[in-house]
Amino acid sequence: MRSILHRLVARPAGFIPLFWLAIVGFCALLPALVMTHDPNAADFGAILEGPSGEHWFGTDDFGRDTFSRVVDAARPAAMAGLQAVSISLVLGLPIGLFVGYAGGWWDRIVMRIVDAIFSLPGLILAFAIVAILGPGLTNAMYSVGFLFALRIIRLVRGMVLSVREEPFIEAARLSGAPTATVLSRYLLPNMMGPLIVQVTISFAAVLLIEAALSFLGLGVQQPDATWGSMLREARSLQRDNPWIAWPPGLAITFTVLAFNTLGDAYRDVLTEGPGGRAKAAKRGASLGLAQGTTAVSDADPADPNALLSVRNLTVTVPTSAGPAPAVRQLSFDMRPAEVVGLVGESGSGKTVSALAVAGLLPRGVTIDPSSQIHFDGEQLVGKTEADMSNVRGTGIGMIFQDPTASLNPALTVGYQLAEPLRIHHGLSKKDAIDRAVELLDRVGVNNPRQRLKDFPHQFSGGMAQRVMIAMALASEPSLIIADEPTTALDVTTQRQVLELLVELCEDLGMAMLFITHDLGVVAEVCDRAVVMYAGQAVETGDVYDLFAAPDHPYSRALLASVPLLDGDEERLVTIPGRVPGPGEQIAGCRFGARCELVHEACTTTLVELITLPRDGRSSRCLLAGASTESNP
Amino acid sequence: MARTLAFRLVAAVPLVFLVSLLAFGLVHLMPGSASETILGDAATPEAVAELDAELGLDRPIIEQYWNWATDAVQGDFGRSLITSRDVSDTLVERFPVTISIAMGGLVVALMIGVVGGTVAALRQGRLSDRVISLLTASGLAVPNFWVAVLLAFYFGVERDWFPAIGYVGPTESITQWIYHLILPSLALGLGSAAVIARQMRGGLLDVLDRPYIRAARAKGLRYRRVVVVHAMKNAFIPVITVVGFQASVMIGGAVLVEQIFGMPGIGVQVVGAVLSQDMPLVQGVVMVSAVIVIFMNTLIDVSYAYFDPRVRLS
Repeated sequence: MRSILHRLVARPAGFIPLFWLAIVGFCALLPALVMTHDPNAADFGAILEGPSGEHWFGTDDFGRDTFSRVVDAARPAAMAGLQAVSISLVLGLPIGLFVGYAGGWWDRIVMRIVDAIFSLPGLILAFAIVAILGPGLTNAMYSVGFLFALRIIRLVRGMVLSVREEPFIEAARLSGAPTATVLSRYLLPNMMGPLIVQVTISFAAVLLIEAALSFLGLGVQQPDATWGSMLREARSLQRDNPWIAWPPGLAITFTVLAFNTLGDAYRDVLTEGPGGRAKAAKRGASLGLAQGTTAVSDADPADPNALLSVRNLTVTVPTSAGPAPAVRQLSFDMRPAEVVGLVGESGSGKTVSALAVAGLLPRGVTIDPSSQIHFDGEQLVGKTEADMSNVRGTGIGMIFQDPTASLNPALTVGYQLAEPLRIHHGLSKKDAIDRAVELLDRVGVNNPRQRLKDFPHQFSGGMAQRVMIAMALASEPSLIIADEPTTALDVTTQRQVLELLVELCEDLGMAMLFITHDLGVVAEVCDRAVVMYAGQAVETGDVYDLFAAPDHPYSRALLASVPLLDGDEERLVTIPGRVPGPGEQIAGCRFGARCELVHEACTTTLVELITLPRDGRSSRCLLAGASTESNP
Repeated sequence: MARTLAFRLVAAVPLVFLVSLLAFGLVHLMPGSASETILGDAATPEAVAELDAELGLDRPIIEQYWNWATDAVQGDFGRSLITSRDVSDTLVERFPVTISIAMGGLVVALMIGVVGGTVAALRQGRLSDRVISLLTASGLAVPNFWVAVLLAFYFGVERDWFPAIGYVGPTESITQWIYHLILPSLALGLGSAAVIARQMRGGLLDVLDRPYIRAARAKGLRYRRVVVVHAMKNAFIPVITVVGFQASVMIGGAVLVEQIFGMPGIGVQVVGAVLSQDMPLVQGVVMVSAVIVIFMNTLIDVSYAYFDPRVRLS
């Protein structure tokens, strides 16, 4: 509790409102120390004056000092707020606890009544209650307190319902603790946070309603004044003294703003938990890219025959310790109609690389300007968003991991499929629909014309992925980027979708960049593979060669971890350890910590991609080439 | 759509019934009876008893409710204890004004809230986002009647750009109607605009992070189209919920704000009725406002179906 308060005061959104509320509280407790005049003393020599050294906020029609009156009105406002909030707690807390805990009919009946009362505008309900009780500030506050009791009931009941089934409550109940004990000892402490937030915000709302009732003459009665009733008086005096409507209005606004801001800040402190931002900022060590060049990129300029030629791709992501490279100087080529796999564990940077090629990196993730991505001879790095959307619409198609989440739930599949056709290919609505039907038919969706009218939630995962594929085909791309397109699907569908992708690439002459963590899939689908580890390419090569004789220890470990079916026994080898994060500085080989063959040089020497004597192969290992012989 | 609406309207009937119990119960929570209010302090107990019998106040309470409710369903809320005028006449005459202002407020709130929230979301973290956040927080804190007082004075009196007082019905002149509604709607709508802006900003930011937004961009759609066509419709779903709450806030606020602009709505009447304990009028106002709010919320429930197809089919 103490530390929460500390953290609250440490931030401006907590400190400033507390400061203002302390001033208001002081005015309410000891107005005499603040007031410059007697708030009720008439001075007909100085009526309706503007602000001056004598009367800071001017005077009203009796010559009374507005500043002193505003200060004096703090007490009734504070009292009114306290009254109403206490009433709402006294009524709301026990009822909410009881209803939530007892459940059943009690819950249903009380909540129905609460709903019914909530369907009335708050002010109208307050009117009705004041009508019964008669006007006056205390009565007004009873009505407001009653109104807010309903909010407390809702909040407390909701919280009880969510905590009730927690194991520790269950245990307390089973151990025979009386209901009251369970409620007060176990339930209540768990709700203090949200309750304090609600009470703080209630203060703000109560003040607003009190002000409204007093403004209408239903709240505080003469000669007492609150900020609301001062505004009521100000209306008729405005013409002669425009100033007079400002001080009470600002007093209400600042106080309400203070309560709201404080409530929000308190909620933030609660949800953030201890530690939070300060620590993360301190950790910000300086991070730079490992110096050094990559053998491949310098030796091989962009391949003129390549469809896609990536050189020195470096992508920076924000981390708690500042920006850090998630992809480090990645280089690879793809020829037309070639299927290349980008393989690695999660955290290897494969998805980030793919998104970088498509120009779809999330906010805050940036491509280093020295990177080169040549697609169809055009440099994509540095292109404007509008130019990139043209490239995506006509040259590069993309398929994502989770097909159901990648379709817009609010639009029909037909609309989403026809959209790029109309925009990038200028088809009329009818032609676009016809083409969409062809595309759906092509990817194996049955009854395509009918299904165009359906919404995404009416499709199964496999069918949704077929729709996504159709959508990617709509732009007639020469390159398809498939980011783990089968991960979210069940096993039987996975195979069908893979076969469809391979077939489409062959028939339409498309190249495909296939991102996966599954080497088994790579073997089936790809011509070549780039194995990635911790942001770097560690081995590249022809899939056949790579599988037959993996050079890099990581590739071998990855191959060994492919689940194999030995008779009826499934054996899964995992690689011990974890992938280093983007910000982690490692002298030497980034895989060193997990490598079976690690020796001293690996931890000190910066390892570069080394071209192997075999056709188009390279490996980022000091033992490159040496280990190949020992492996059958 | 029409069938959904009809279904939802029927489903709202129990709620209206509960509210009617509350409205009816008001009178019986009050110390003293209607007869005492009518006859004044000097009345003899005999005279009160006599009037009780005449008004049916000596009957069993269930019978009294039944009579009141069956009358109310036919639009008869009895007569004012003070003016003896039919309550329903007053309601029919006055409520359209109040509803006009409430609608105006809602339009202002939606326009400013949606635009403000969208701009803030698209410029997240930048200066315009901060400015809008500050305005939003202030909008939530400023009392609408104070804004009304200031607007009426500065734009109606000091500079007579808009009428500071009065009302013209839409049947007389649509343009004059709108012209007279501008200041009250602004005063009423700013607070709700802040609520909507907050929700819109949060909703849009949430939606913009969804995979389908990236997929839409992957199709080669321009960012503007992605936002307007693909994100806004989804971002609107939580906003609608908030708009539902605001419908109730608007009716309550209109009662207040209309008085500052001297508009002949239900506000002055109901405040007078509260001060003089004129319960039939208070009951009538409670019932009509509740029915309006419940109807608005039903409409909003139905509109979910437009924005969220998953609701439509379930």
